[in-house]
This record gives sequence, C-alpha cells and structure tokens, in this order.
Amino acid sequence: MKWPQLPSRDSLQWRLTVGSAVLLTVLWIAAAVATGLVLREEIDEVFDSALQEVAQRVLPLAYIELLNRDEDATGSPTAQMVPTVDPHSEYITYIVRDAKGRPLLRSHDSVPDNFPTDLSPGFRDRSGQRFYTESGVSGTLFVTAAERLGHRRSAANKALLALVWPLAVLLPLSIAGVSALLSRSLSPVSAWQRQIEARGRGNLTPVGATGLPSEIATAAASVDRLIERLARALQAERSFTANSAHELRTPIAAALAQTQRMVVELAAGPILDRAAAVETSLRDLSRLSEKLLQLAKAEGGGGLSAEPHDLGIVLTYVLDELCSSGTAGDRIVVTLPPIGAVLSSIDCDAFAILARNLIENALKHGTTVEPVVVALTPEGVFSVVNGGPVLSPDDLERIGRPFERGATFAGGTGLGLAIVEAIAKAAGGHLELLSPAAGRADGFEARAYLPVHVAQNEQR
Amino acid sequence: MRILLVEDDPILGMAVRDQIAADGHTVDWMKRLEEASDSVRTVDYELILLDLMLPDGRGIDFLRTLRLSGDTTPIMVLTALDQISDRISGLNAGADDYLVKPFDLAELSARIGAVARRYGGNPNPLFEVGDLTIDKAARTVHRGGRAVALTAREWSLLEAFMARPYALLSKAQIEERLYSFDAEVESNTIEVFVGRLRRKLGQDVIETVRGLGYRLGRGKDGDHRRP
Repeated sequence: MKWPQLPSRDSLQWRLTVGSAVLLTVLWIAAAVATGLVLREEIDEVFDSALQEVAQRVLPLAYIELLNRDEDATGSPTAQMVPTVDPHSEYITYIVRDAKGRPLLRSHDSVPDNFPTDLSPGFRDRSGQRFYTESGVSGTLFVTAAERLGHRRSAANKALLALVWPLAVLLPLSIAGVSALLSRSLSPVSAWQRQIEARGRGNLTPVGATGLPSEIATAAASVDRLIERLARALQAERSFTANSAHELRTPIAAALAQTQRMVVELAAGPILDRAAAVETSLRDLSRLSEKLLQLAKAEGGGGLSAEPHDLGIVLTYVLDELCSSGTAGDRIVVTLPPIGAVLSSIDCDAFAILARNLIENALKHGTTVEPVVVALTPEGVFSVVNGGPVLSPDDLERIGRPFERGATFAGGTGLGLAIVEAIAKAAGGHLELLSPAAGRADGFEARAYLPVHVAQNEQR
Repeated sequence: MRILLVEDDPILGMAVRDQIAADGHTVDWMKRLEEASDSVRTVDYELILLDLMLPDGRGIDFLRTLRLSGDTTPIMVLTALDQISDRISGLNAGADDYLVKPFDLAELSARIGAVARRYGGNPNPLFEVGDLTIDKAARTVHRGGRAVALTAREWSLLEAFMARPYALLSKAQIEERLYSFDAEVESNTIEVFVGRLRRKLGQDVIETVRGLGYRLGRGKDGDHRRP
C-alpha cells in the first residue's frame, strides 16, 4: 500500500493543517475548561442544596428522637448513634448538638471532633469538608451536616475528563480531515504548480489553468500574461536575428560575387590584387557576421523547442551540407546512433549550429593527417575529436571565451566555441573541452552534453 | 545548359548570371516568381537556380508547385535562409541542392555541374567518345591524349550533345539550349558552332541528319562509352 506523500513543511497545505489542528486543540481545551468551571459551580450548588436538605430533614426527626429518649442519671445528654440498616460509607454525615455544643445524635460515619464548634447557621468550609448548620427548637437544637469536598472535586473532574478525552480521537481525525479537504481544495493549485514546473526552459505557452481559487486565479492570470510577453519578446528577438541574417547575407553575397567576377575578369596587376584583397575581406566579414548572429541567437535563448527532434537525422543533414560544400573532404569519420535513438528537446537549428561549429573548428585546427571523429551517443553526448598537440589547461579555459583563439595559424573568428557553449547552456546542457582527447595521448576533444527526451529514456 | 535564375537582388543576380554564362551555359534571369512561372511553361530548362525570398512570394511554394505538377527539372536553392530547418524544408520540398548565401561562384559552378551530371544519370564526370575524353567537372577535352581548348559556347554545345548521346537534337532545340530569351540568333549560328566543334574534335564527332538536326557521332571506331 502506498501512503499519501506528506506535504512539504513550507507548503500551504502543511501550514493550514497544522494551524487548524493547533487552533482546534486550544479552542477545545478552553471550551472544556470553561465548561468544567461552570459545571463545578452547578455541582456545588446541587451538593450544597443536598447538604442543606439533609440538615433540615434531620432536625425534626432528631427532635422527636430526643424527646423519646431517656436521660441518664447525671442529667447530661449522651450522644447516640443512629442505628444503621446496613454498614455503608456515607458521603454526607451529620451531628445533632445542643446549644452548648454537646453532641446528642450523630450519623455512624461522623467524627464529632471534625465538626466546627461554631453553631451559627449556614455554610462553612473546614479541613477539606463542607458543613451546613441548621438550628431549631428556639435555638436549643443544632444539626450540622458535613460532606467531603474531595467528593465534589472528583465529580467535577470526572465531568471535565469526559469533555476532554474525545479530543484525543478528534484531533487526529480533524488533522486528517482538514488535510484531505485542503488537498482536495488545493489540487487545482498543485496542478497549476506542476504545469508551470513542466514549462521548463523552452516552453513558453500560457498555462491556462482552470478551477483555481479566486485568490490564486489572479496570480495565475498574471503569470500567463507574463509568459506571453516573454514569448513575444523572445520571438521578436529571434525574428530580428533571423531577419538580420537574411538582410545581411544578401548584400554580402552580392558584393562577394561581384568581386569574384571582377577577380576573374581583371588582368594581372595591382587592381586585381586589390580586388583579391577585397574578396578576402568580404569572406572574413561574411564569416564574422554569421558567427555574431549565431552567438546573439544562442545567448538570446531559444535553445529548446516544444517538440523533440532526432539529433541523428539533423546531424546527417549537417554532414551532408559540410561535405557538399567541400569543407569536409574525406576527413570526417562519423559514428551515428540508430534513427530515433537520440530524441532531444534542443532546437534543431541550434544543434545544427553547434555541430557545424565544432566540426568546422576540428577541420580547421586539427592536423590534416588525422581524421576528425564525430560521434553522437544515445545518451545525448555529441563529441568531436581532432588530432593535434596537447593544449594546456589555461589554453583550454581561454579558447572557450568569445574572440579568444588557440595558438593556431588557421583563420577564424574565435567565436565558435563560445557559440557552442551558449547553445549547450541554453538547452540545459554543457560543453566540456578535453586535451588530450579521451583515450589518446594527444589531440583535442569537444563534448556537448545535450538534454535527451525523457520519454525516450523511459522507453529504453 | 539552359538555366533559369530566379533572384530578385540585381547585384547578386548580375554576378551569378555572368558566372553561369562564363561557364558556357545559357541563362534566363527572372526577378519575380510570376515571370519564372511563365518561363518554365515556355522553355524546358535543364536547371533552375531559385531564391526563396522573392518580392511576390516564397520560392519554396514555387518549388512545391512545380514538383506537384510533375516537373522534374533539377532545382538548386540559393538562399540567405541558413538554418538547418530551412535546408531540410527545401530539400524535402524537392530541391536537388541547397546553397546558402554568401557563396563562392566557383562552388556554385561546381554544384551546377554536379546536379546536371546527377540528372544526366551519370554522376561520373568522365565521358568518352571515340578518341575523345571529356571531363565534365573539370570542363576539359582531350583528343588522342592532347588537350583541346573550347570556347564557352562550344563547350555548351558539346554538353548539349553529351546530355543525350544518341538522341537527335533539332536546330531549334539547340538554339533554345544555347541562347536566352533576349539573345539575337543568326540563322546560320548553329551550323557555325557545329563546324568549329568538328574542326577541333573530329569531323565524325557530330553527325548531321539532313533536314532534322544533329546528333553525337560514334567516333572513328563507331563506339562511345560512358564509364
């Protein structure tokens, strides 16, 4: 049997449950005490009435009894005990005395010495007992009835206990009940919380939760509006970089193409040299603008997409592009996972930029006599290894920064690894640079750890 | 080859057109999709170079429409849309190649050749007929082991024959392949170029079918091979 999970101590459910339980306990105990006090007063009244009634009833009976009694030779009265029908313990005892305080008659459990000598009528307390004195026969005969106060206390305490003990049962029941009620009432809030958590980094669609309490619904609507504004802002930024890329690429392409035509058509000489220099600069400008836009896009977020992509297929297209452009030649050795094995939430365009940058870096900076080894594992690790000398830890740390380049004569913007790192971070992964490459004594390896779709992992 | 270039940027379009023409191909340059649609209805192009962002629509829609209509003309996309998703969309829509701006004109020429060879059913750039060895990728011709220099127009004419080695090509078909819409063609131009090719490559390299046109000959040994 699976027990329901206890709510967190910081949760609203926990606070309300504990608060309700404490409040219920305090109120219940206060009510019990107040009831006990009232009850005790009422018990006192009833018991006093009974004590008074006993004294008033005994007085005429005692008078008749005394009239019928023979006096002893000395003429002094002798206290006689009222015969008992059956031995028993008396809650109320009494004693009948004359005006001089001499006992004439008493109940069998009474102890004359414990009775007060004061014969004035009325109630009084003494030695843990309650007394009531009644006088009659013109102030010549006095009856004093007595009762142990402990008896009354015991009765009051029993009544109070009867009021308190249900709390032991009611308190856990009320905690469970309040907790269940709160859990049910807060279930839309919990669902909303889970939906927000599931939004993750790439999903910026409004939550649109329903059934929320009015206090939370306002906050939820505000969150949805905030998400919408954020999504619009990010979309605007992405559109800007995409449009910038398009608007920049065409004039650069036009300038480069015209210059290349000029280089072909010009005769050898200083003007041709100038045209060739312009062509080189235009190529550099093209490369730099492309990398800057890639970096801007990567740092502007958007590393994740709502739908998972098969990275193996995307990588195939990237490799096809590199090979068809003649960049890669036959230097690339690839290990690809089976189709559908690496489903990832990373944006496919972002992954393509990441892969292209790492492979181009390896082709540019690795030794040409060794292949560039490209691999993608089902765990979402994309690695590119190239041959070359071992880099120092300082160099490894430095080359990841924008505009920093290793000790190389190869051209480059110094932005490739910064772009890759920004994309990996935006997607919730990270980049690791190794030199020497894993399992080798030399070379360089870049590993991008990318998020793999959870459902795919579960299936595996 | 007769190539249709669809590009709205005048400076880039001019350079691309000149490059293709310098390679010996015939180019019709259209700046709008509407003009391009009219052109493909009129002429059987051997290759279309297509920009994707045009003033009157998206090139990808033009591409899809062509493929849906059963048109199998090779299409190479030339675009500033550099994302891999754009590339995948373009190739899935039926593009044969996808080249992102800015590009090297030399790379464009090489890819045009590769696409043409792929569509010609023979990706191998070497073509042999008689004592001639023709490298379509390097655009060189060797006759009996010696290199023969051809002008761009002569090369284009030879390419037209190599594309359909046994087939008869009418004079009109050859003119259509060699000249763009705006070119003025003299009545005896084709005969002049055929004559020049025969002088450089051998009299029997091109056969005349009287009243109908020309076709690639079988060479001295009556055989030609496509390795």
